[in-house]
Amino acid sequence: MLASLENVTKRYRTTDGVRDLSLGFPVGEIVGVLGLNGSGKSTMLKLLAGLLLPTAGTVAVFGGSARGNRARTVFLGETDTLWPWMMPSDASRFMEGLYPDFDVARFHKLLDVLEVPRRKTKAMSKGERGRLRLAMSLARSVKLYLLDEPLAGIDLISREKIMTSLVREWHTDETILLSTHQVAEAEGLFDRAIYLREGRLALDAGAEALRERGKSVVQTFKEVLA
Amino acid sequence: MKRFRTLLWLEHRRSWVWAVSLLGSLSFWAWGVKQVRVMDVVQRFGIRAGLLGLAAAIGAVVLCLMIGRIRSETRHGQYELLLLTPPSGYAHIGARYLYATGVAFAYYVTIAFLFWWIAALAGIRLDGRTLIELILAAPFYGMSVTLLPLLAWTMLLMVFISAYRISGPGWVPGTVMILATPFAFRWLARGLFSISYSLPGWRLFTRAPAAMIERFGRSDPETMLQFDEVVYNGLPLEPMLILLVLTAVLLAIAGRIWQEVEA
Repeated sequence: MLASLENVTKRYRTTDGVRDLSLGFPVGEIVGVLGLNGSGKSTMLKLLAGLLLPTAGTVAVFGGSARGNRARTVFLGETDTLWPWMMPSDASRFMEGLYPDFDVARFHKLLDVLEVPRRKTKAMSKGERGRLRLAMSLARSVKLYLLDEPLAGIDLISREKIMTSLVREWHTDETILLSTHQVAEAEGLFDRAIYLREGRLALDAGAEALRERGKSVVQTFKEVLA
Repeated sequence: MKRFRTLLWLEHRRSWVWAVSLLGSLSFWAWGVKQVRVMDVVQRFGIRAGLLGLAAAIGAVVLCLMIGRIRSETRHGQYELLLLTPPSGYAHIGARYLYATGVAFAYYVTIAFLFWWIAALAGIRLDGRTLIELILAAPFYGMSVTLLPLLAWTMLLMVFISAYRISGPGWVPGTVMILATPFAFRWLARGLFSISYSLPGWRLFTRAPAAMIERFGRSDPETMLQFDEVVYNGLPLEPMLILLVLTAVLLAIAGRIWQEVEA
C-alpha cells in the first residue's frame, strides 16, 4: 500500500473530523473522495498529507509516518495559499528552491496549457489562482497527490482545463486522491470512489464495479449520502 | 543551502515593505533631531539623544510585529504551504530570524551613525576607535541584551499559539505566555543583575570621557564618579552571553514546535 489509515479518529475541539476510519490506497489509482460538507474529506486528506496528526489510530504513507513523508507527497488544499505579490515566476523560484522534485520546464508547460496569466496573484481571478496552484502541484514528480477541492469556485472552462491536465499528467505509478463536489464532471476520472458521511466511511467502491451494477458514481452518491 | 537561500528570499519578498519602511523612517528621525534648537548645547544634545533612543524603542516594536506575522499567515493559509515544504522547522525559524536580525542590525547601526552625527553637531570629536565601538560594538551589545531575545520570544509565542489552534483552544497557551512575560522578564533581569561583573567587563568608549570633558568641561564630582565607573568597569558580559544562549534556546524550541504545528 502506498498509503493507509487504520482506525483513525481526528478530534477537533468539540467535534470529530473523522471517526474510526480505515482505508488503503495502492499504487496507480485515481480515487474520488466524496461526501457532503463536513463529512471529513479535507480532514482525511490533511491526515495523509501530514498536516494534521491523528487523535487515535495510525496514518502511514510510504511505510512511514505521514508527517515524516510530507515532502514526498503533493497536497493541494482548498485554501488559497499563495501570497498576493507572487507571480508565476516567483512561484517557480519558490518551488524549485524548496522541492528537488520540481520540474521547471514542466511547470512552464502547464502554465501554458492551463492558460495562467503572468501577473501577480492579487490581480488574478480565483480560477486563475487555482490553475496556478495546480500547475505548481503537478510540476512535481511524486507518487501521491492529495487534491482537496481543486475545482471549487472555479468556472466551467477552468474546471475542464484542470481535469484535462490531471488526466494528461497522470502516470500509472502515481496515486491521486481527489475530493470534489463536482461529482458528475469528475466521475470519468475515478477508478474508485470513497463516500464519507459524518466522518465515517459510508461506502468504498470501484467505479467499474458500480457500472457493472448499472450505477454511476453520481447515482451512488445520491443513494448513499442523501 | 539552496533551500535556506530560498527561505531567505521568501522572507525578503514577504517583509521588504516593513524593512524599507523601518529603515526609511530613520530619515524622519534625522530630520526630527535637526529640528531640536534648544540654546543650551548639553540640553540639546540630551534631547537629540533621547529622540534617537525613542527611535530605537519604536524600531524594536516594529521588528517584533514584522517577525510575528505568523498569525495572519495562519488565517490566510500561507502557513499551510510553508508547513508542507521539505526544510525543517529550524530552517524556517532560522531564515525568518536571520532576516529580521539583518534588518535590525542595519537599523541600529544607522541610529549609531546618527548618534555620532549629533555628537559632532554638539562639537564632540570622537576618534576612530570610539567611532567603531559606537557603530559596531554598541549596536551588537544593545541588540544582544534586548532585541535578539525579544524577537526570539515573539517567534516562540506566535508558533506556540499556532501549534494549538486546531485541536485545542489556541488562546489559552497564548494568554498564559503573554501574562507570564513580565514575570519572566523581571525574574531574568534580577538574576542577570545579581551575577553581573563576575567576568571582566567589556570596556567600550574608554576614550569617550576625554572627548566629553574636552567639549563640556568636568561635570559635578558625583556624576563624574558614576560615569568613570561605568567606563572603567566596562559593560557586563554576563547578560550578553546568557541572553544570547537564551535566544538560541528559544529559537530551538520554536523550531521544534514548528514540526508539531497542525494546519
